[in-house]
Amino acid sequence: MVLDLTMSMAILALMGALATIAGCLEDLESDVGSQSNPNSQVQLAPQMGFLHRIFNKAISGEPISNGMSAVIGGTATTVLLSQQFYPLTAIVIGAFFGAIVLGIFATTSYAGRVASQTRFKQPLYMDIMRYTTPSIIGHNFIMNFCLVAIAYIQFEILGYPFTIPFLALIWGISVGAIGSSVGDVHYGGEREFQNREFGCGLNTALSGRIVRKAESGLRNSIDNVWFCAKFGGPATGIALGLTVFFSSWPTTIFGYTWKAIGVGVFIVIVLTLMNRLVELNVRHAYGPYKEEKNEQEAKA
Amino acid sequence: MVAIDPALLTNILLIGLSGTLICLAVHFIPVGGAPAAMAQATGIGTGTVELAAGSGLVGLITASYMYAYEPLANIPLVMAAGAMGSMVMLASTMFAGSLIYAYGVAVPFASAQVKKDPITGDRQDTYISKGTQGQGLPTICFVSGVVGAALGGAGGGLIYFVLMDLYKPLIALTSAFAVAGVFTMGVMYVNSVIPSYGVGGTIEGVHDPKFRRVVGKDVITSFFVSILCGLLAVLIAGGMSI
Repeated sequence: MVLDLTMSMAILALMGALATIAGCLEDLESDVGSQSNPNSQVQLAPQMGFLHRIFNKAISGEPISNGMSAVIGGTATTVLLSQQFYPLTAIVIGAFFGAIVLGIFATTSYAGRVASQTRFKQPLYMDIMRYTTPSIIGHNFIMNFCLVAIAYIQFEILGYPFTIPFLALIWGISVGAIGSSVGDVHYGGEREFQNREFGCGLNTALSGRIVRKAESGLRNSIDNVWFCAKFGGPATGIALGLTVFFSSWPTTIFGYTWKAIGVGVFIVIVLTLMNRLVELNVRHAYGPYKEEKNEQEAKA
Repeated sequence: MVAIDPALLTNILLIGLSGTLICLAVHFIPVGGAPAAMAQATGIGTGTVELAAGSGLVGLITASYMYAYEPLANIPLVMAAGAMGSMVMLASTMFAGSLIYAYGVAVPFASAQVKKDPITGDRQDTYISKGTQGQGLPTICFVSGVVGAALGGAGGGLIYFVLMDLYKPLIALTSAFAVAGVFTMGVMYVNSVIPSYGVGGTIEGVHDPKFRRVVGKDVITSFFVSILCGLLAVLIAGGMSI
């Protein structure tokens, strides 16, 4: 342990808060740019005859594209730090570099994807590109800032063995994996198919039939991020916040011992039980879709 | 040149074994791929590679910190630290994902592969929405995922430990951390990709019939590929000693 206990806990709390913001903004960036798995529906829609005004980018898998922007941010920050820049300034400028590179990829990805759909008559809306790309850059900038700040704290203050760019890369990949697993379900499972009855499940036959109308006019990606910011984004933030906090908390309190490992396992067991409670709650609240066979037989 | 001695062969074998452990781990993690992101399949809504590598890398951070700050850290402790980091990451992710399935999409959790959950005994088939392959994360998937993450994190920790012992005497400590970290990440990615061919993108976990069908072939493939990775790691060390 490098710091005393109070200071360590303060640093850990700060890292948890930064991770929560990073997770939230990562998911919202993937929603506003329509990346990762739910984008398969956006890509499929024109082929089913549903032309839309939704941004359509998938630079790569979500973890890798976020890892890329975070590692660029981390590298630029390291260079600036070596030139005696004030850390906060270095992190801000580094994060901005990473975000700009992602923005460039976003425009080429959008143009390329729509160009590949010419035969389905999907237009490339220049106003969508003009309004949405700065939003993608903005969301990604905040995520980069938080992740590079976490990497800086871990390397400079806590003395982690890995360097700032490598830590930023790892957290970028992890936040992408979490955003892809958590927040994207809200975008893909709910927002894209909001014309269905809430809780009815999503039949695979509906693939590609995404909602294209908004409260007023035609729906675009800014409308989507407005919706996902209410639940998908914060849930992703909670997941990354919990990950960063609880992966370090046991060793901070109990030292580098088997006791700390035991506490980590206990945290996992508590999360498993909480998942079971949620499972029981939804089974009770929504009930089965089909009548059980023996019940039907009893009725007959 | 590196002289071939039993210690080096043991290192290669340990890297081979830990790569195999990571490959085995991926089969435990309930990965639903793109269909799960639309709540059309049971599991987590992303790909095998992304999730296994994402959780394994958090384990790598905790394992490396344990290795750097505990002078008495032995192999089991570093492996356990890696396992703990991975488990915490995957459990947090699955729990937050469950909240979305439960209250954002509003679907009950159900597995399409078993009629009853082997752990809780809850009926599954009647809770599957029409036209889907199940949805959400039932308890068996959650537990299977946690076990998988533990195996993956432990495998990552073992590779890191072996590589650090290999590189530490040859180059500066900070460089050894970097090379060992990046190489561990590479082995993790290699062994996350191999199972995705076997499982075909989606698997529900240990209770899925696919698990028994493909795990043997994947593990053997992964063992040989990881041995190659180990050989490469030793060859790199040869370059360092010149």
